[in-house]
Amino acid sequence: MEFGYAILAGIIALVAAPIIVGLLSGIDRILTARLQGRVGPPFLQPFYDLFKLFGKELIVVNHFQLIWAWGFFGFSAASLVLLVVQQDILLVVFTIGFAGICLALGALSVKSPYSYLGGIRELMQMLSYEPILLASVIGIYLAKGSYMADAIFADTTPLIAQLPLVFVALLIVLTIKLRKSPFDIATSHHAHQELIKGVTTEYSGPYLALIELGHWYETMFVLTLISLFWANPIWIGILIAFVAFLSEMLIDVTWARMTWRWMLRVSWAVGLALVAINLAVLSFFER
Amino acid sequence: MSFIKTSRIKSPWLLHFDCGSCNGCDIEVLACLTPLYDVERFGIVNHGNPKHADILLVTGAGNPRNARVLKNLYNQMPDPKVVVAVGACACSGGMFKDAYNTFEGIDGIIPVDVYVPGCAARPEQIIDGVVQALGILAEKADALDSKEVPKEVPA
Amino acid sequence: MTDTFLVGFLILFPFLSAFIAWLTPSHSARTGWVWITAAAMIVASVMLMISGPTTIMIENSEGLSTLIGILDLLLLVFFLYVGIQAKSLVITLLTVAQLLPFIWLEWLSGAHHEVDPTFIVDPLAIIMVLVISVVGSVICVYATRYMKEHEDHLHLQKSRRPRFMFYMIFFLGAMNGLVLANNLLWMYFFWEVTTLICYMLILHDLTPIAITNARRALWMNLIGGIAFVVALIVASTQFETLSLRELATEHTGEALLLVPIFLLGLAGFTKAAQTPFHSWLLGAMVAPTPVSALLHSSTMVKAGVYLVLRLAPGFEGTAFSALVAIFGGFVLLMTAIMAMSQSNAKKVLAYSTIGNLGLIILCAGINTPLSIAAGIMLVMFHAVSKAILFMVVGAIESKIGSRDIEDMEGLCAVNPALTGILVIGVISMLAPPFGVLVGKWAVMEAAGTTMFGSISFIVVLLLALGSAVTVVFWIKWMARVMCAMPETCECKKEKLPAAYNVSLWGLATLVCVLSVIAAPVVTGLIVPAVSSWYGTQAGITSTAGLNLDFTIGAAPIIFLSIIAFAFLLIPALVIKVKKSAVRPVYLCGENIDYAAAWHGLADGRFDLSVGGFYFTRVLGEEKMNYLAIYIGAAIITIAMAIALFL
Repeated sequence: MEFGYAILAGIIALVAAPIIVGLLSGIDRILTARLQGRVGPPFLQPFYDLFKLFGKELIVVNHFQLIWAWGFFGFSAASLVLLVVQQDILLVVFTIGFAGICLALGALSVKSPYSYLGGIRELMQMLSYEPILLASVIGIYLAKGSYMADAIFADTTPLIAQLPLVFVALLIVLTIKLRKSPFDIATSHHAHQELIKGVTTEYSGPYLALIELGHWYETMFVLTLISLFWANPIWIGILIAFVAFLSEMLIDVTWARMTWRWMLRVSWAVGLALVAINLAVLSFFER
Repeated sequence: MSFIKTSRIKSPWLLHFDCGSCNGCDIEVLACLTPLYDVERFGIVNHGNPKHADILLVTGAGNPRNARVLKNLYNQMPDPKVVVAVGACACSGGMFKDAYNTFEGIDGIIPVDVYVPGCAARPEQIIDGVVQALGILAEKADALDSKEVPKEVPA
Repeated sequence: MTDTFLVGFLILFPFLSAFIAWLTPSHSARTGWVWITAAAMIVASVMLMISGPTTIMIENSEGLSTLIGILDLLLLVFFLYVGIQAKSLVITLLTVAQLLPFIWLEWLSGAHHEVDPTFIVDPLAIIMVLVISVVGSVICVYATRYMKEHEDHLHLQKSRRPRFMFYMIFFLGAMNGLVLANNLLWMYFFWEVTTLICYMLILHDLTPIAITNARRALWMNLIGGIAFVVALIVASTQFETLSLRELATEHTGEALLLVPIFLLGLAGFTKAAQTPFHSWLLGAMVAPTPVSALLHSSTMVKAGVYLVLRLAPGFEGTAFSALVAIFGGFVLLMTAIMAMSQSNAKKVLAYSTIGNLGLIILCAGINTPLSIAAGIMLVMFHAVSKAILFMVVGAIESKIGSRDIEDMEGLCAVNPALTGILVIGVISMLAPPFGVLVGKWAVMEAAGTTMFGSISFIVVLLLALGSAVTVVFWIKWMARVMCAMPETCECKKEKLPAAYNVSLWGLATLVCVLSVIAAPVVTGLIVPAVSSWYGTQAGITSTAGLNLDFTIGAAPIIFLSIIAFAFLLIPALVIKVKKSAVRPVYLCGENIDYAAAWHGLADGRFDLSVGGFYFTRVLGEEKMNYLAIYIGAAIITIAMAIALFL
């Protein structure tokens, strides 16, 4: 992608992603409420939440957690931008991994039992989904012959036809990343408490809003990755991503939160196995 | 800036604390979250974390032991914040007014903004009280924006 | 300055300098001399890089070769003496098993010892010399200060620092000789010198455990030595050559080539402490920290993987190569799992080192130009990052008196400078845009392109799992260091001594700068290294310019460096919190002011402690050790079978 277009695409992504994900979160909350027999909040509620947090007083425990919050925000946004300007997908996956590391370190930078447990569980979450994500990218290479995202757009065969099992495994990753039951183990949305708020327990006000924004960029990143599975024409991919998001919401409402050991077992035994089978089949045909 | 002002009253997050209540008022508070009353319509969510909360809902008459806890929780809440005393015990001591071991309501421990009477207070009254508290929250927020700093309660 | 002079200087000056350091009685004079040596070595290696690749042929080197042969003999006799004195059957038998074939090879076999050229100064050798001379010299500077504090703690009567600095500096010369040599007998000599120095330095403190571990290191490296000599015998009888370049590049595909290659690879594995030989490196952690930094992470163990990388063209495209890749991947995953259960910081670093060496061996096994480039990149960047980490752990140990991770809790508030360097060290092992991650990125890309059919997904899975597990143990460590109390005091920050500042901040800056300029480094040094030795550079895309369309891209790295600068470095330097904004952590309201305690049962005071998660029940070291040894040995046995019979 040429430099000028890249800058434009990056800026559009940075501005549009929070708006899109905010609206999606609004839909999520309303549909969840309706499924539970309630009415639910207004459509724009996530934006009200975000801006209210910006308007709160800044209180902190120590300044180290703030540094890592900025790191999480910066690298989440950076990974989205890199994906949108069609850069190397493997590098992008490592970048979002580092964003997760920053979030875990922010939680672990305070001597608080809830925050510490949340941080360790965040590490367990990363341990669960990172291998799947990394192996999936290699799968994309085997399917398309290149690691650059623009190669996916160049080919007319949809990625999902070559990597169906990888797509299913990526839904596990999406559930973990969106912090939906059964994988909302480090922290979760709405008011589902287990470790108070886990990772975000000791954050408040503007920095909680910053982390929420970082999470929105992260969500957009995973949804974009999923939409790449049908890149020609891209509107089908976007539709697939939207349907995946809605099904995540459905899973969230019907499942209870499980343990991190269960999450690790399922991710590796089911997710990695699916990816491994897909990779084995593809590499056999590639030979 | 005005969107922030609107957002403050459209997204009140709760912290609910029981200062020695018989749980009657607590059950009514819980009922507000159920589909029958559904306070999430107003954006109200019960985050159990003072650092995330705007509104502190207190039930029970208060005693020296949990007065300490209540003050700690109040101090850990960031501004702007409001306190709603729910139930007769939290307002004035209720039926335990003359007991030796409880206080006459929690307004001697932390400043209270809205008193919701009742034994137990009904969900409709509680919601009404929270909505009134939102108005006070907006006023406090305006005072905060114009740089008047509210006092912290000594522990 | 001719290249011959530079090469001679880089190999011989450290020998001379070591003697001078040993014979200097005054500590401050010796320290000054070490600084001078360090500066000289760094300048010499940079000049070698600037003067460019070349080869050096020493005419009429029969005399030199004989001298080296005699010195080798003396070395082996010394090992025999050590074995007899220690009453160790293992060491004695292994030394004899090495001595006899060596004598046969050197004097009785009539092998042709004139090798053309004697030294090859190609880009890979230049990179290795830079790593050894720059990182090694910085570690020697650090060691002058560290050993002073070390001996103060031990209350030694008679200082052993002259002896220590002698071996450290001598080692630099031996390593330079090893990586520059093309004559395999000369390389063998330098190889055994490093084994000797490793033995001498591990037992430096003369405690019983140091002596035991030194002996274990000795016999495991002796196994490698035997393999080396037998490989040389096969090479000189079957292929009539003792030249590394000829053996590695000009006989590919010939029958029986895999035999000397397997044996040399085995020597490399023992030197690099791969499973099942990993226990010597774990045991070597009892040595003073500069030893761990210099020998056991940056340089000596790199000699093992350097040899494997050099040999890669020889086994390209064979099933043996696939097995080497799987072996490397297995070591990566296994050591990462074993590191999860460790709370001793140096052991964590040791496991991580073995894992990264396994990763480099995996690069050699995948055997495409991109993977070899990734391997070289990893050698370079890992050496710098690990040196930083070992040195900072040593400094922390001097300060707090412990190398246990749990004792490092809250270090960030007490000593921000050391914490900052530790954070840079750990992040540089894990994160984009730093070099180790760029290397990992490149090797993962290369893994996808392998031609092994269905075997390739095993390598990919090992890589993916290994990568994910490494993150967990690093961040668990960082968590303990970063775990700070509410920030209610303006504590005075401690200052570091000059030697520590120069070495620690110098290398930290180096790793940051090198990572940002990774693209020109790859184009200027690494791609020529691959193309000159492996004959091709197909598959490594050009990295020049600011175009966004690259495989080992320039622009994304610069972009990510800017993000790291703006969102991590700047906040770290700039953010301050007002005392009025500080609140205690959430302890359900029962917190006692800002202390790490709360009111519990009967209003009693309970102390707050967080920590742990070492998974010792499931991932206990003993259990995992069995798996590591047996599976590692099994893979090597299969590789040997392929080498002998296929």
